[in-house]
Amino acid sequence: MAISATISLTSAEGDLTSSALSLTAAASLTKAGLSTALASTTGLAKTNFTNNPIQSKAIYRSDDAAANGANKVYLKNMSTTPAEYFTVFIDQEEMGRLYAGDWAFFPWTATSGTKETFRILIANTWAAGDTWEFDGVQIVAADSTVANIATQIDAEEFPNWTTVRSTAYVTFTAREARDAGTVVTATADIAVDTAGDGDSVVDNAAMGTATESDIIVVPSVVTTMDLEHMLFYE
Amino acid sequence: MATTAAMTLNSDLMTGALSASASTTMMKAGTSADGLDQMRMGYNKVPTGTSFDLLDATAAGIDKATKVYICNESTDETYYVTIVIDAKTIGRLYGGDWMFIPWNQDDATHDLEITATGGTNNITWICFHEGETLGTQAD
Repeated sequence: MAISATISLTSAEGDLTSSALSLTAAASLTKAGLSTALASTTGLAKTNFTNNPIQSKAIYRSDDAAANGANKVYLKNMSTTPAEYFTVFIDQEEMGRLYAGDWAFFPWTATSGTKETFRILIANTWAAGDTWEFDGVQIVAADSTVANIATQIDAEEFPNWTTVRSTAYVTFTAREARDAGTVVTATADIAVDTAGDGDSVVDNAAMGTATESDIIVVPSVVTTMDLEHMLFYE
Repeated sequence: MATTAAMTLNSDLMTGALSASASTTMMKAGTSADGLDQMRMGYNKVPTGTSFDLLDATAAGIDKATKVYICNESTDETYYVTIVIDAKTIGRLYGGDWMFIPWNQDDATHDLEITATGGTNNITWICFHEGETLGTQAD
């Protein structure tokens, strides 16, 4: 496996200086501190920005790559209108402006936050037909066994959470790290409808923290602009 | 005509070919006819243990189309320099790696900083710009 990145900077005689300038550098993109190639990529992508008012987009989230990896990011402003530019941010820090046709290639330290987690216990008396609902997902109990109901919950695909089950406990982990302020998922956030006294108590929860290195891009105009981008990562 | 920056990326990570190429003529902010016409360049041996300002932000660089090229010429792949803008880490440039970024010096603290790890790192750098605030002679 190999990835190569080559840059050529060229200035003809009389352009920047009276003499011609030329520089070429080639890099093999390898893992941090190693000579083995980076093994993962998002592939080449194109993202359209057409929003009024102007809205930023997170092109790559810190969760996408290793914090101390030798990750590399490629960005290109596909606009042909000279005055149109994308402002590139790392988290809240501005890097610079990519004007029409400009491109950038840079290493990326993807410092992630932590993902919120919480655990529920399916307990007390449940009956077949009782319902449990969270994150837009509803399950209907197939029987009255609490461990089986926990298994049903764990079998679902939640939009914003992943799950792991142990007996009648189900642990939820957010798909993305974020800082939700002081709010953590609680028992009241889960809708339970049982014929008996069945419940779904959150007995353990931990807040998430914000990522610190998301790559955020802001267009300069509300009319359509396209960004070409690619990430090689660990 | 002005300075051009071209790059190619080639990879055999996928079952099909994955490549990208880009070329830009470095123009002043918002123009298509007036190229970046000034530059600074250097080659530094950067010792470990201290964060250095590789490039100081200047007021003349606010909201401009400045471009910075940095190459870590170190041949030891465990060596790297950490690139920071105004206390925010951009990434680690390992031995043999290069980078090319836009740089908006949007305030006086928006310096481009560098810290070496592993050993003394050898760095080539070029800053293409359209003006900078030169320091006044002090003594």
